[in-house]
Amino acid sequence: MTEEFERGLRGALRPVDPPSGFADRVLERLDRQSVVPVEPRVWRPRVRALQRHWYSGVALAASVVLAVVAVNQLQDERSEREGLEARRQLIEALRVTSEKLDLAYEAVNRPPSTDDAGV
Amino acid sequence: MSKSIHLCTVVAFLAYWLSSAAQAADPLLKLPNFDGLTEKAEKAVTITLDPVLLRLAARFLDPTDPEDAAVKEVMQGIGGIYVRSFTFAEDFAYPVADVEAVRKQLGVPGWHRLVEVRSRKEQTKVDIYMLVEKEQAKALALIASEPREFTIVNIVGSVDLDKLHRLEGQFGIPKLEIENKK
Repeated sequence: MTEEFERGLRGALRPVDPPSGFADRVLERLDRQSVVPVEPRVWRPRVRALQRHWYSGVALAASVVLAVVAVNQLQDERSEREGLEARRQLIEALRVTSEKLDLAYEAVNRPPSTDDAGV
Repeated sequence: MSKSIHLCTVVAFLAYWLSSAAQAADPLLKLPNFDGLTEKAEKAVTITLDPVLLRLAARFLDPTDPEDAAVKEVMQGIGGIYVRSFTFAEDFAYPVADVEAVRKQLGVPGWHRLVEVRSRKEQTKVDIYMLVEKEQAKALALIASEPREFTIVNIVGSVDLDKLHRLEGQFGIPKLEIENKK
């Protein structure tokens, strides 16, 4: 009984050559399956998010700086326009005043006539 | 009886004090709204330079330029310049009563008339007033009316005619010798 079992076991475990073409088939199957290298997936999304936020922050800061510069520029231009207009009005006001003062001066200097009610 | 007389005296004194306070000369004339005349007029000049605008104008005067420097000197002590000047194609196309109302404002104590010109032939009226308080000029008012034009100038502040005189010939401002004729 024991000898019979041992014989059967030896027969089952005897070295057997693989069937012809086995190695080729294994290599062919390996080629078909593309092996994707596994990378750590824990940090990648965070890095991308940080990169995205960094770009957004710079863009936002640049926009704010540009807006401030543009507003300052507009205010300066407006202030200059108003200042030049005020200067023009000042000179016009002095011109009109002097013109009328001159009218009074001419009237005062004119020889008195019967038409003039008085000075 | 004596109490009622005393009360009447106090009331009379208060009324006099209030009326004189109400009549105190204001350097800033109340100018009527002449906006409606702008379209009718051939030429309209409406200038309102309050202290803020005067300061702004002064910033744009070049102190190295003699003309601008002279204007800046005239502006010393001036707190406002108000000009209304209209020229029309027809006689008396403007509300004469409004102009006379401004003249009336110069009748209160404090305003002193420097020049009064009346020409019946040309129907011209020119009045130059100065508001003097404590021997200091506080304002100048000029009202010139003719059949086809009128001009009202109100300069608030200490107006120095000598300095104004120095502007002669600049910016088209004619020569003035008014002080010789006072």
